[in-house]
Amino acid sequence: MTVAAPAARETGLAIRVHNLRKQYGETRAVDGISFEVRSGEVFGLLGPNGAGKTTTVEILEGLRAADSGEAMVLGIDANRNPETLKPRIGVALQTASLYPKLTVTEVLDLFRSFYGRRGHSTGELIERFDLTEKRTSQTRELSGGQRQRLVVALALVNDPELVFLDEPTTGLDPAARRSLWEVVLDLKRQGRTILLTTHYMEEAEVLCDRLAIMDHGRFLESGTVKELVGRHFQERAVRFDRIHGLADASLAAIDGVVSVAHENGEVVLYTRDVPRAIDGLLAAAGAAGTEPENLTIRRPTLEDVFLALTGRALRD
Amino acid sequence: MQALLQLTIANIRSFVRDRAAMFWTLVFPLIFILMFGAIFTGGGTSTRVFAWVDGDGSAASAELRAAFAELDNVELRDATEAGGLDAMRQGDLRAVIVVPAGYGAAVAAAARAPGPPVAITVYTDPTQQNQSADTFRFVQTVLGRINLEVSGRGPAVVPEARAVQTESLTFISYLVPSILGMSLMQLGVFAAIPLVADREKLILKRLSATPLRRWQLVGSNVLMRLLIGIVQTLIIVTVGALAFDVQISGNVLLVAALVVLGSLSFISLGYVIASFARTEDAANGMTSVVQFPLMFLSGTFFPIDEMPEVLRGIARVLPLTYLSDALRQVMVGGTPFSPLWLDFAVLGLFLAICFAISARFFRWT
Repeated sequence: MTVAAPAARETGLAIRVHNLRKQYGETRAVDGISFEVRSGEVFGLLGPNGAGKTTTVEILEGLRAADSGEAMVLGIDANRNPETLKPRIGVALQTASLYPKLTVTEVLDLFRSFYGRRGHSTGELIERFDLTEKRTSQTRELSGGQRQRLVVALALVNDPELVFLDEPTTGLDPAARRSLWEVVLDLKRQGRTILLTTHYMEEAEVLCDRLAIMDHGRFLESGTVKELVGRHFQERAVRFDRIHGLADASLAAIDGVVSVAHENGEVVLYTRDVPRAIDGLLAAAGAAGTEPENLTIRRPTLEDVFLALTGRALRD
Repeated sequence: MQALLQLTIANIRSFVRDRAAMFWTLVFPLIFILMFGAIFTGGGTSTRVFAWVDGDGSAASAELRAAFAELDNVELRDATEAGGLDAMRQGDLRAVIVVPAGYGAAVAAAARAPGPPVAITVYTDPTQQNQSADTFRFVQTVLGRINLEVSGRGPAVVPEARAVQTESLTFISYLVPSILGMSLMQLGVFAAIPLVADREKLILKRLSATPLRRWQLVGSNVLMRLLIGIVQTLIIVTVGALAFDVQISGNVLLVAALVVLGSLSFISLGYVIASFARTEDAANGMTSVVQFPLMFLSGTFFPIDEMPEVLRGIARVLPLTYLSDALRQVMVGGTPFSPLWLDFAVLGLFLAICFAISARFFRWT
């Protein structure tokens, strides 16, 4: 399916991908995807590990050649002219990839020299990414959050118009994750275009203007968070711990329940009429001689979208 | 250029901060030199053992011998000229002193009327500069006294210096260039380990997402190792000279050319290893497998001619054999195992082969 950026067909496009394909042996890592990213937009690729997000991003960074299809980045063909593209983009790989025995200052200085020292000064970057205390520490001594901030700082040494962030918060604790979100939102406020991959729904909801849900090399769905949720769910989600002796079929038969799903030992009922569904659930549970535990009602999230689209949870 | 320079500096920093790398390249070779040097020179530096060849057999020559023998720290061993030179070549002696036939008659003649002086031949090893000078000081002392006794008007006896063709070196002068060859080999082969580690940590991948070109990346690695190779050379040569009196007698430019060619050859062997080792552990294992046979079978510690036939055959195909052989020839005038041009040619060919293999099989990610 094609995802055209609204109202930006001619100008202001940072990325245009058309029918991109990449195969490794029998595996179709990227299987004919198409999308556009406008300048100044944060676009997210969301999907589980192995969905093809990283392969897609690496093709757009000029690190891998696609088998077929078009990958235009900042008006440059990333397949044909990667060396023209590289000075203009900023890249944060999925794995930190830092010289372990160099200090924060030394690594920043080194990367700045690759771009002819244009853009921000090392001191500015250190201050902006809150690394002042660690500037003389070797990178192997940094905490996970500090490493990720340095990795993003390195992606900005050339003051690029377009930044690729591949799973920037994977493995970080919640506090460090939130602090990195602030960094990304700050980049967004500066008007930079960002292509971000993640397998955290919450992250995609907080950061991305638009996103595409990817699985097995294909786009399942794309749009803004609101669109995605709205398109699939006018329903609310009613969750509770799995009840023995209560089959999915009998749950689906409850008046007002649209569909039934399972996630991490929980049952999820989707409904447009919450009171009616809960009445029915209590009755069904009572008939089985028990009652539901940890019953919650919430608005559906991207998590529910993913669950509905793939039948499995994103977090494994 | 800026990027190449900065990356070279970054590589040097990473190297210097890696204790294992520092040990293997700078300390390990010195341990070999100091250890073997101490064992095999065994106090020989403090006693002066000269072979005494009396070609005259007169009372005067016996008197001259007595004058030498009564000096402190001098030991004379009577020998034939050929026997003395043989012993010297094996490192048992410092010098061979030859009193020519007709010495007694000439001295007696000089006492009556001044005539042409008679020459005492003194063989020393010029690569052992300090020892050689020391020997001549002793010879001059003794001859000066004889001359004074004979006439006081002009020298009746003069020393005539001759170099022993350094066909066979003392063990330590053999060892120093060999250890240098071994060190350059290790420095090059060990290039594989950080290279594979950088690839495993995706540093190479991250670099390829920048405008840095691959030739700059390879260039900075090679430049860093060449610089360290030069430092290593200076350290080994200096320690050899200060601790064991091994002097470089050959052409310095030729030595430098060999250091560069040898380093490049073995760095490219390091790249070959990095082309096939997937993990840092694998690279560690493969460098050991490669470096130990090179170290022990290339004539580093013993001349190849003294090895059993089978090992000699192996030595003939190992590239380090040719680097060390060339270094010994150029630095201390060692006996050629193969002609110098052939050493250069073998190293050049080896470099070309390794380069081709790496260009074909090396992976950046």
